[in-house]
Amino acid sequence: MPKSFLIDTTRCTACRGCQVACKEWHDHPANVTKQRGTHQNPPDLNPYNFKVVRFREHLGADGQVIWNFFPEQCRHCVTPVCVDVADMTVPGAMVHDRATGAVLVTEKSAKLSAEDAQAVIDACPYNIPRYDPATGRLTKCDMCIDRVANGMAPMCVKTCPTGAMYFGERAEVLETARKRLEAVKADFPKARLVDADDVNVIYLLAEEPEHYHDFVAFAQR
Amino acid sequence: MKCTRRNFLKLAGAGVLTLTLGQLGINIDEAMAYAGKLKIEGAKEVVTICPFCSVCCQVIAYVRDGKLVSTEGDPDHPVNEGALCAKGAALFTMYTSDHRLTKPLYRAPHSDKWEEKDWDWTLNQIARRVKDARDKDMILKNEAGQTVNRLESIFMMGTSHASNEECAVIHQAMRSLGVVHMDHQARV
Repeated sequence: MPKSFLIDTTRCTACRGCQVACKEWHDHPANVTKQRGTHQNPPDLNPYNFKVVRFREHLGADGQVIWNFFPEQCRHCVTPVCVDVADMTVPGAMVHDRATGAVLVTEKSAKLSAEDAQAVIDACPYNIPRYDPATGRLTKCDMCIDRVANGMAPMCVKTCPTGAMYFGERAEVLETARKRLEAVKADFPKARLVDADDVNVIYLLAEEPEHYHDFVAFAQR
Repeated sequence: MKCTRRNFLKLAGAGVLTLTLGQLGINIDEAMAYAGKLKIEGAKEVVTICPFCSVCCQVIAYVRDGKLVSTEGDPDHPVNEGALCAKGAALFTMYTSDHRLTKPLYRAPHSDKWEEKDWDWTLNQIARRVKDARDKDMILKNEAGQTVNRLESIFMMGTSHASNEECAVIHQAMRSLGVVHMDHQARV
């Protein structure tokens, strides 16, 4: 049985502990930062950010500002399209670990041509993989496979101070997700789980996906 | 991983608790090859307290051969139960970053350059300037003639990196000089 995450955005305060902890565990260097008029920084996923907390706001029915936070990462799809697309040109450039459900990029991804690498990126319904010009490889969240294989939780889950992230056996996480959904519906009637049957990183949103990010749900494609 | 007889015996001997098919090279997936390299493997765990705010989250520092290799929240500590915020999660980089100050830097009045100075020079300068400012500006009595012993030309900026005890000593030192303007980095 693969592992799954539940990311409960109704509990997320956008402290970005997950984003930083991920960088620290993977020894990623800092990005050049710039004031872009938003708290979101960096503006997008990149080879040094496998995780980024997205900020999006809109006006609610009563004219109040609703500010949503979306800690974005690879969904580790149950049937990962990226692995199939990469396999067509360079077998083993990406692998799907059946034991954990982790979808991983390998060093063989450097053998993908620029076009083939772009095809993998374009195939992802959630717009996750990024090309690293320094190594020629694709980059993305690796589920902290080294930690998980050693019985530890991924770094983002470990560090989350508000309990917005759960990690465990898929059946257990699905059960937790359904219970949390019922609980938050009292405060957020439009709450929903995103693509729960198809991904191992299940988001619990308080409202429609478009109020979070353009690539939250498969249906937004 | 290559499955030599020696490796096989070593891993099999490690016992059923740690035994996985992947370690024995039987696993059909390549993924486990990436999982083998845990960067904190064999490192000594040293517990410490996050220096940033007064919540005092406990942190495990992983040390190998006298070098810090990683930091993460301590799950056994009742305050944070393993969690850390963005600042606490960045402790490893706070220690290893090339932006970290390791020598006193001095910028002379009207200069646009920082110069490296040694500690003797720096401490002497601080002592000299504190003494001069205090000698010049000390207010012994107010307009009503009441004793106030106040020094208004020095401002003390505190830091979250100071412990409670350090704060007490700093506070007493400032009060003894007559300094009344004190604030904290987290407030400004």
